[in-house]
Amino acid sequence: MTPVLLMGILITFTLSLPFFGLIGKKIRRERFLISTSAISITLCAFLLSLLFLLNNMHVNSVLAAFNTSPSPEKPNIRIDLLSAYMAVIYLGVCLLVLLFSAKTVARSKITLYFSTILGMVTSMIGIVFSEDFFTLFVFWESMCICSYTLVAFNKEREEPIEAGYKYLIMSSAGALMILFASSFLYGLTGTLNFHYISEGLNQAKEFIVHLAILMLLVGFGLQAGMVPFHTWLPDALSTAPSAISAFLSACTEKIGLYCILKVYFIIFNSQYQEWRIPLALFAVLSMFIGNISALLQDDLKRLFAYSTIANTGYILAGIAIGTSKALSGSLFHILNHAIVVALLFLCTGAFMRQVRTRNLRELSGIRHTMPLTSFALIIGVLSLATFPFLNIFWSEITIIAAGWEAGMAWLSFLIIINLVFSAAYSLRIIQWAAVKRTTYISRRASEAPLSLVIPTLMLAFTIILIGVYPAPFQRLTETIVEASLYSK
Amino acid sequence: MPLIYYVACSVILFFIGIYCLILKRNMIRLLMGLEIMMNAVNLNFIAFSSKVMEGATHPLAHAFTIISISIGGCVIALGLVITVYAYKHYGTLDVRELRRLKR
Repeated sequence: MTPVLLMGILITFTLSLPFFGLIGKKIRRERFLISTSAISITLCAFLLSLLFLLNNMHVNSVLAAFNTSPSPEKPNIRIDLLSAYMAVIYLGVCLLVLLFSAKTVARSKITLYFSTILGMVTSMIGIVFSEDFFTLFVFWESMCICSYTLVAFNKEREEPIEAGYKYLIMSSAGALMILFASSFLYGLTGTLNFHYISEGLNQAKEFIVHLAILMLLVGFGLQAGMVPFHTWLPDALSTAPSAISAFLSACTEKIGLYCILKVYFIIFNSQYQEWRIPLALFAVLSMFIGNISALLQDDLKRLFAYSTIANTGYILAGIAIGTSKALSGSLFHILNHAIVVALLFLCTGAFMRQVRTRNLRELSGIRHTMPLTSFALIIGVLSLATFPFLNIFWSEITIIAAGWEAGMAWLSFLIIINLVFSAAYSLRIIQWAAVKRTTYISRRASEAPLSLVIPTLMLAFTIILIGVYPAPFQRLTETIVEASLYSK
Repeated sequence: MPLIYYVACSVILFFIGIYCLILKRNMIRLLMGLEIMMNAVNLNFIAFSSKVMEGATHPLAHAFTIISISIGGCVIALGLVITVYAYKHYGTLDVRELRRLKR
């Protein structure tokens, strides 16, 4: 019953946050009231979902459901280990993002900001808990509406408005693709429930089924930043407020990948074999275009946005390989990359607040004036470069080894080439931030306040922890793959 | 009338919407293209609802369509708000003029 309770708490609290804001305005403690209540509720939800995940590690089937007697017509909520795992990641990142932005947001906007972020994380949890296209679509669109608002949050400037408009048009078109595909699936099977669609279309070879799969791949891949549908991503991530960029790249991308996993391994399991090569092609395109564009960037946020596209490619490669080892590598990479990219964007946010720039050349030698933030940044960047004994190393190794074993050695080889590219731009960042001399801009900087440093240091500590001691996390992802994706 | 006419009509509408998104330059026309695509999807759902249940209409599709119309309204409203701000900043509705980010 815990997850349904969790959803109930989150939805009720999100909807009542504007009233908290009104009360806070009356007693002149708006920032304190809003940030404390939002952070404590998110902390409670995070601990609740973590406990739920750890308590149910041995359960090999559905953990909880809203409707205990399923039927083709009823919308349903259904939780398995995979969705609990994703919910833990989202709530953890959301908690740190809220901690980071408690002091940085302008006072007049704080209620809007916190309630929109909470609305976004609530709808993401709704997406991972849903079991039919009806529920999925409602939560998907509410997540999208919240994220358009957050991208265009600084409406006084031109760039966020422009990026927000581009994101709105592209992402709505993607959502309509998903909706059109689900209407065809409804016409073929008479239901919207994933389980019944999967039964009704078992071994179906019709053209329309493959067309529907393609449309679902385009719609979800657009949100995941898959090349060639990635063009909104660098603009949106580079113009949104930094905490929002962290949240978008750590969670919204991953929800697209989660849905692609769900499409191929839960709904269309019998058609999966024909889609391995197209998925691998999309993965290779994403890796190369993301990494090569990142090599040429001086703007830190655009650089990290392009590296996000490349990492989407690695995860898609794991999905294309499709053995249980590759899938556990992909899930592990989802966790690792969420942590790393959240850390990188939060560090950039701290730089932008203290130095008012995000250009790599102007930040030269920032290590001397902002040691703690630079330490966290260097840990994150080293992890992005797949430095051994940091977390991304282990998941990359798992995906590459799985590709080798499954007879897709060419894909593993292409991933290794891309690791060289990512090492190149990561070392370039370290060279500018730590080795070069200070400029007159970076000499004037001072260390960021404690509320900004603590979240970044916590993330850096998690990176080192997973890197040094990866075994329990690998066991966790293997259990999840066995229980959720191969259970049928 | 057989079902295929309705489905063909909705597919054509969907492609008109995509055509509009690709080729039109006015910001409000792009939003109208999205609206046409939404209508195509809703028509498709309603057409299939008579096929799924012979002699009657299936309630699931109708419920979905009503929800999807209201969600579509929200998205278009947000798009119009962003368009208003863009018009304030740039003084035009032409998307080709929005190129502060093309570097």
